[in-house]
Amino acid sequence: MRLLLVEDDAMIGSSLVKGLGRENYTVDWVRDGPQAEAALDLAPYRAVLLDLGLPRGDGLTLLGRMRARHDPTPVLIITARDGLSDRVKGLDAGADDYLVKPFDFEELSARLRALLRRASGRAEPVIRYGALTLNPLTREVSCRGAQVALAPKEYKLLAALLDKPGAVLSRAQLEDRLYGWDEPIGSNAVEVHLHHLRAKLGEGIVCNIRGQGYKVADVE
Amino acid sequence: MNSLRARLLIALLGTLLAVGAFASLATYLSARAEIDDLLDEELRQVALSLRDYSTIDLTMLGPPQLDPGHRVVIQVWDWRGSALYMSNAAVRLPLARDAGFEDVRTGSGDWRIFVLPAGGQTIQVGQPLELRRELAAEVALRILVPVLAVLPLLALAIWWIVGRAMVPVNRLAKVLKARSPTALDALPAHGVPDEIRPLLEALNGLLARLAEAFDAQRRFAQDAAHELRTPLAAVTLQTQLVEMASSDAERSEAISALKQGVTRTARVASQLLALARLDPESVSTPDARVDLSATVQQAAAELQPLARARGVALQVNAAAGAHVAGSADALHALVTNLLDNAIRHGGDGGRVEVKLGLQTGQALLTVTDHGPGIAANERERVFGRFARGSAATEVGTGLGLAIARQVLRLHKGAIELDDAPHGRGLCVRVKLPAQAEQP
Repeated sequence: MRLLLVEDDAMIGSSLVKGLGRENYTVDWVRDGPQAEAALDLAPYRAVLLDLGLPRGDGLTLLGRMRARHDPTPVLIITARDGLSDRVKGLDAGADDYLVKPFDFEELSARLRALLRRASGRAEPVIRYGALTLNPLTREVSCRGAQVALAPKEYKLLAALLDKPGAVLSRAQLEDRLYGWDEPIGSNAVEVHLHHLRAKLGEGIVCNIRGQGYKVADVE
Repeated sequence: MNSLRARLLIALLGTLLAVGAFASLATYLSARAEIDDLLDEELRQVALSLRDYSTIDLTMLGPPQLDPGHRVVIQVWDWRGSALYMSNAAVRLPLARDAGFEDVRTGSGDWRIFVLPAGGQTIQVGQPLELRRELAAEVALRILVPVLAVLPLLALAIWWIVGRAMVPVNRLAKVLKARSPTALDALPAHGVPDEIRPLLEALNGLLARLAEAFDAQRRFAQDAAHELRTPLAAVTLQTQLVEMASSDAERSEAISALKQGVTRTARVASQLLALARLDPESVSTPDARVDLSATVQQAAAELQPLARARGVALQVNAAAGAHVAGSADALHALVTNLLDNAIRHGGDGGRVEVKLGLQTGQALLTVTDHGPGIAANERERVFGRFARGSAATEVGTGLGLAIARQVLRLHKGAIELDDAPHGRGLCVRVKLPAQAEQP
């Protein structure tokens, strides 16, 4: 899951990148409005964590522009502005959730999960598709009832494929969801991780659609 | 006696009583003089009318037919001094030596007598002075009694009128009593008597100033709370990263980040405190003689460790003898903040030059760094509380320049930001009125 973090404070930014990284999110961190705009243009993000008080451009302006161009990416505002009117303004501007600083990392993480769940149209926290079960909270994956231990990149791949179950994702799309800007990508890195993933899950779970990409099969 | 009502009551009733008493006394005296004239004339007439009677006639006649109320006593003496006739045996007046009017004192009170020698005999007509006093007092009382009678009525009237006059004041008091401590809007001046209006206006003026001060405080507290959230959020996250660390290396890295977070939070708190202390509302004009050169040297020495840690060369050139009038603590905070800013934002491994000199009665302090500087259009904004330059890469409190400006306001100094003379960097110029050399 690739997230965009828009936060001007260096300490909070680096802490969030580290903490969210541990939860297997890929986080791109920008520190001001123009950088955030540029990032949104370049890559698809599953969610945006948005601070409101930004140098060169306010967070609400950025959010307004996103919604004006019909960008549906879920946005979670994280800010020190705790007034009722601020919260109302933030949500009315198109934010999906609002978290006031200082906040607990666990709460941010839970809200983020809820946000992603709602965005993918699911009601229950555990993702079930075909023979697969994926629990975003515990990051546990099971296939045909048996627990499967996945490496972080393999988990990320599977989570991306299960985000819209059955949808076909190209290699480039998978790369985009897996890697942040500052991570070097080997030419066939995604293939290598896919290979391991398919080996661990067994035959017929992750299928290769020739010329298009990969998808998760709806099999019992 | 602190009640207006009681004071008015006593003053007004007392005055009325004094006026009444004076009028009565004056009436008494003038009545007494008139009565004296009148009754003296009566005595004389009686004596003259008796001159034509012989003693025998008098004895035959008995007491003369006179108004008994006038209590006139008639005595006739012969030339040897023995009494020939006494109209009232109970009253014995001494035989007067000279003719005419005289006041005599006897066993039965004071008497006014008229002596008329008449051919060997002496006719003496007397009347008690008591009578005259009574008559005059009666007249005087006719003035005094109504005054006394009207006193209680007047007292009631004053009590009521004063009560009525105090109604607006009481209403004001009720309004004030019912107010919450945060309601600082002006009191209604409607229906307030002119005499109380100055008090009300002064009160409203005070309320307005209070509201302003409250507002400033509230704004500051809000700003402060808001600004503390960011470092606290960082510390919260950093603490959780320590908990989540899975290896010793990760943990020690997280702890070192946490330490920085705590240091920053403490710095924000102390800067906020410094700013609150410099609030012009709460600070009296400082006027100690402060050696600015020593202050600069001291601040530079204190910041030397920070400079060393960042590989910044701190060059101080502070000419001795620059003295200013002010608060040593505030000036120290000013210099510390400017140097701290320059070291933090001037870029690692750079150079910070501090110069202090005297120029036409002004102490001139310049702090120059080689950092990214502050764009001309941001130079006013960065003096605001919690403002940071957009080029700043360093985590700051956003309070340093706000503190500097506040200190300079208190010391009638000036501050300006400029490009460093050698191109890249920021040059901060501070001017303070210098004190003359001490003799």
